[in-house]
Amino acid sequence: MAVQESAAQLSMTLKVQEYPTLKVPYETLNKRFRAAQKNIDRETSHVTMVVAELEKTLSSCPAVDSVVSLLDGVVEKLSVLKRKAVESIQAEDESAKLCKRRIEHLKEHSSDQPAAASMWKRKRMDRMMVEHLLRCGYYNTAVKLARQSGIEDLVNIEMFLTAKEVEESLERRETATCLAWCHDNKSRLRKMKDLLDPARWRMLIQQFRYDNYRLHQLGNNSVFTLTLQAGLSAIKTPQCYKEDGSSKSPDCPVCSRSLNKLAQPLPMAHCANSRLVCKISGDVMNENNPPMMLPNGYVYGYNSLLSIRQDDKVVCPRTKEVFHFSQAEKVYIM
Amino acid sequence: MPPWPRCSLMQWTLPSPQSEAAMEQCASVEREVDKVLQKFLTYGQHCEQSLEELLHHVGQLRAELASAALQGTPLSATLSLVMSQCCRKIKDTVQKLASDHKDIHSSVSRVGKAIDRNFDSEICGVVSDAVWDSREKQQQILQMAIVEHLYQQGMLSVAEELCQESTLNVDLDFKQPFLELNRILEALHEQDLGPALEWAVSHRQRLLELNSSLEFKLHRLHFIRLLAGGPEKQLEALSYARHFQPFARLHQREIQVMMGSLVYLRLGLEKSPYCHLLDNSHWAEICETFTRDACSLLGLSVESPLSVSFASGCVALPVLMNIKAVIEQRQCTGVWSHKDELPIEIELGMKCWYHSVFACPILRQQTSDSNPPIKLICGHVISRDALNKLINGGKLKCPYCPMEQNPADGKRIIF
Repeated sequence: MAVQESAAQLSMTLKVQEYPTLKVPYETLNKRFRAAQKNIDRETSHVTMVVAELEKTLSSCPAVDSVVSLLDGVVEKLSVLKRKAVESIQAEDESAKLCKRRIEHLKEHSSDQPAAASMWKRKRMDRMMVEHLLRCGYYNTAVKLARQSGIEDLVNIEMFLTAKEVEESLERRETATCLAWCHDNKSRLRKMKDLLDPARWRMLIQQFRYDNYRLHQLGNNSVFTLTLQAGLSAIKTPQCYKEDGSSKSPDCPVCSRSLNKLAQPLPMAHCANSRLVCKISGDVMNENNPPMMLPNGYVYGYNSLLSIRQDDKVVCPRTKEVFHFSQAEKVYIM
Repeated sequence: MPPWPRCSLMQWTLPSPQSEAAMEQCASVEREVDKVLQKFLTYGQHCEQSLEELLHHVGQLRAELASAALQGTPLSATLSLVMSQCCRKIKDTVQKLASDHKDIHSSVSRVGKAIDRNFDSEICGVVSDAVWDSREKQQQILQMAIVEHLYQQGMLSVAEELCQESTLNVDLDFKQPFLELNRILEALHEQDLGPALEWAVSHRQRLLELNSSLEFKLHRLHFIRLLAGGPEKQLEALSYARHFQPFARLHQREIQVMMGSLVYLRLGLEKSPYCHLLDNSHWAEICETFTRDACSLLGLSVESPLSVSFASGCVALPVLMNIKAVIEQRQCTGVWSHKDELPIEIELGMKCWYHSVFACPILRQQTSDSNPPIKLICGHVISRDALNKLINGGKLKCPYCPMEQNPADGKRIIF
């Protein structure tokens, strides 16, 4: 991999990028826990009520058959409690297990095996791209990518798909799904009962999207976008934007067509220390490959000049001027 | 956004992450999740068991009452007592179930707190939020970059889907080589070596220049597949082995291994010391080899520009966010220069040195067209601004050696 990332660096990045990866399944866990509690409380109170009725009857010398029918009621309520409890626990256990799976995946960033480590990095980029695509509304692409990369468990597709359903229903001027979402999430959307003009609906959809993101503590930009911006800046140099295009490098990502346009408004990298790269070979110029200046002022690595030397002459690749090999002067970079 | 002050940044040291402390962040959350899982398990078992018992107990009572000719008769005192006890037990049990579940709440919320403590809930950009917000244009370019990346990674169906969903049109010229590669890859996934071999033969010369062993590996796989067909395939396999001839020098050992395996054809290769030849991993490996070599021939690196930029961002982002926090905390409003430059250097490793950068050792600034690097007579290089600053009485003394020289003798260099 071109970019070196130490384990410590990976951990720092985890801290900054992975909050949504863990928080969203946690919110689901929380939600399901509360739902479970509600279910258990409700069924428990049903059972208690029926039992209280039975107790009351017992105190008044009842006939056997009235007791039997009340007992049937108790059995029924207990069964319902059992069923609901099992279902609810299963649901909350499922979301806890999802949290566990995600944290286990994140832990793999520190794997010793290089193959596992680079697989993890590939998946990381795919995960962030999926989230980005979901934000853009490209749901099918996101789902396909998640499936192909084997990361379906690790991305918050469901959350976005739920949002998509709500948005689509709003576009159909229906509030039912959105209200259900509000109820589910106790948001502050207003209840719309009257016909509204298209602009209000547009605004409502935007508002919903904004609130949904805020609810899940997702900012305006995807993690992917923010990471990419930082990355492009860290690579960008003035040479990537020279008018005549003479300084472009075939390996430099920022020199590539699309990324060149994207990186234009971004800040450039800050380089406190010199580093010289030979224009011919792309190799570093240092004490092992000293920088040599030709009489026209262009500098190349010693090794490269050796390799293009013919009959003791060299041709400057950029100006096509011909010089003697011995005319190359060493330059000293501190 | 506040401008980045430059001067005093060097004095501040960034917190250096210690590996153990950093790993702790995942472990910390995991601990809480494990506790919750344990509690759910225990509670679930207990809940089911208690309710089972209750139902059983009540069921027994009901059976007792329903039996014999007890209908219509009043409930006996004994039974009444038993019933009351049963009622009490039911109430106590279910109420305890409810409160036991409630007790798990604190463990659940501890998970959330661990996440909040160990991961940053706010991520901020290096630049203003809206820098890529001329919504249509930049977003479209970004989508295009993603599509190009997907093609290069061999994820053609995903790329096609994105083109459709974002209504992007990709140049056929750009797509063409990837379409061919994908066709070959799909054939390889179906264990059809034909298209790949055809491609390898037609690109033989360039592959040899790359030191690629793709063609040989393809022949080898075909041979192995014949072997897997059993003793009936022996003649065919032997006949196919002539394809190894041109590779005899470079791949002698591997050829020997394969010819040696013929001995076990009758017995079955799976039980022989050559069973590893039948590994499925060979098929995965050939896809990778093919993709790598094909990309090289296309002049593409294995990692797309988008991959490299993203990986670079993963390194840069925490560093920049850190600096931003420090600046805001100390409310630094010192002199700043170049707000279109990052405030700090990001170490990406030597493989990411794509362009020459010359930072004047005296003024500690990157040179530019307006302030180019100048080679002094002694061979030392400084920026023109630095040179001008060093002029004293029409003469110039190099800061690195005692050589005095004429400013006009300085030569502008281009890296």
